[in-house]
Amino acid sequence: MKILVCAKQVPHKDARLELRPDETWIRDESIKFEINDYDTYALEEALRIKDAGEAEVVVLSIGPERVVQTLRTALGMGADRAIVVWDDALAGADSLGIAKTLAAVAKAEQPDLILTGLMADDTNYALTPPMLAELTQMPHVTAVVKETQQNGEIVAERELEGGALAVVKLPRPCLLSIQTGMNDVRYASLKGIMQAKKKPLETKSLADLGMQASDVAPKVTLEKIFPPPKGEGAEIVEGSIDEIATQVVTKIKELGLL
Amino acid sequence: MSKTLIVAEIQNGALREATLELVALARKVGGELVSLVIGSGLSGQAETLAKQGGGKVLLADAPTLADYTSDGWADAIQRAVAAEAPDLILISNTPSGWDVAPKVAAALDAGIITDVFNIENDGGELAFTRRLFNGRYYGRYRIAGSPRIATVQPGAIAAYEGSDDGSVEPLEVDSAASRSEFVEIRSAEAGGHDLSKAEIIVSGGRGLAKPENFEEVLKPLVDALGAQMGASRPVVDAGWLPHEYQVGSSGQVVQPKLYVAVGISGAIQHLVGMKSSNFILAINKDPDAPIFEIADLGVVQDLFEFVPKFAAAVESAKGG
Repeated sequence: MKILVCAKQVPHKDARLELRPDETWIRDESIKFEINDYDTYALEEALRIKDAGEAEVVVLSIGPERVVQTLRTALGMGADRAIVVWDDALAGADSLGIAKTLAAVAKAEQPDLILTGLMADDTNYALTPPMLAELTQMPHVTAVVKETQQNGEIVAERELEGGALAVVKLPRPCLLSIQTGMNDVRYASLKGIMQAKKKPLETKSLADLGMQASDVAPKVTLEKIFPPPKGEGAEIVEGSIDEIATQVVTKIKELGLL
Repeated sequence: MSKTLIVAEIQNGALREATLELVALARKVGGELVSLVIGSGLSGQAETLAKQGGGKVLLADAPTLADYTSDGWADAIQRAVAAEAPDLILISNTPSGWDVAPKVAAALDAGIITDVFNIENDGGELAFTRRLFNGRYYGRYRIAGSPRIATVQPGAIAAYEGSDDGSVEPLEVDSAASRSEFVEIRSAEAGGHDLSKAEIIVSGGRGLAKPENFEEVLKPLVDALGAQMGASRPVVDAGWLPHEYQVGSSGQVVQPKLYVAVGISGAIQHLVGMKSSNFILAINKDPDAPIFEIADLGVVQDLFEFVPKFAAAVESAKGG
């Protein structure tokens, strides 16, 4: 069985996100990046399927050279090989352009299962997984919190609202988008990191995939990003730390809760 | 004349509030309104939507649509699009909506934006606004081409409350569309930690840094206030506390008299679960944390320094 894991590199959780002068994105030249949290659970699930039987785990990412670091980490955790796709035209692509690019790789790789995170921690779109499923003619389930393999079929539990779950059975090949908390994500061992250096990591351009810039021309444009409007926000308690504590307690008394 | 197609959702036999929010948004954008009801045995609900929302209501009614499947819904939506050629398609950003909308967008090669909380029509050009970076920023978007698709955050827009004279028409679907099979809905395990009746909830987030700190730093404050402990999703995902502690869209939705958010930045999925609390106190060292947007009172301090002082001040206030 072959499992394709799509992973995105996103700004580190603790990175300071400052606006770029043109206000269409954040300044990302000097911040730290990491693998998208949701995607780590997808990768871990793929590695568990591999550990339980026979599977090749291929990790795929789209992004500039810095993405190689993320893929090396994935290889260090136990993935067998990695593919990175980059082209200047992809810098302006929207989710559909990204999904088309991922689909071109998926068509060449012919995986039995595609696993990816529910959404990316930077844009929070949650678009590419169902798009990729559609473009590769695979059935899909999103927000999966549990999956089991049964005679070539997959039984997936997807998260609904208020803690409810829907149980769905689907044939392979198929795509699952993974919700956080699904499993305990392993760390790359030192041995794993050493071995990762010898594992194959391919770099591909759009042309290598038989695509051109016009295939990923965006329909969606992010015109401007801006901080949430202030004004209706909280009253911030000022003073020394003891004064603040006293004021907060006074407020709770006023509410009649002390 | 532009045309908007909205995809309705029925929950426990009734129209979801989110559907009437889509009606309100479609009316705000302007133009003709067409709604799509997908399910089995829902003609009554379709009639209700025609009366409450107006316009034409397409009813995709088939036994195979009794439970949600991605393929079944995508087939129905694409047939409605083929029949009506809408310029704008609005779908609620619910588990069904976020699952099917991107698939439909890929099938139609259409531009899509998810989880928007507003759409403005400036002279025929639509601007879509949504959160990104887990609420740290807002983004304004445009979509080229037609149809444009947006999923809309439930609760972001007031539901349409008018009444109207709509009509219901059947929409034929492919009853063999689904490759996946719905098995069952499993309800949340009856957790032993019910937060729904708590007067005061003190919730901890990733800012607490490690599981021991819930016992050592947060618990004294919880006890001093006579509160119940809650948590944000990352805490539960990391296994620091069981799922039954989680407050948010996929955990418990709470409405206490006082909600204290400690070291919680305020991702939208958390805010959805606690924003209706009577009074919200947020403690976070990051003044830009989105939690301060909805809090009543904010403390911008290192929680490890502030929370023990706060707990001590509560204790002495009780003593006095």
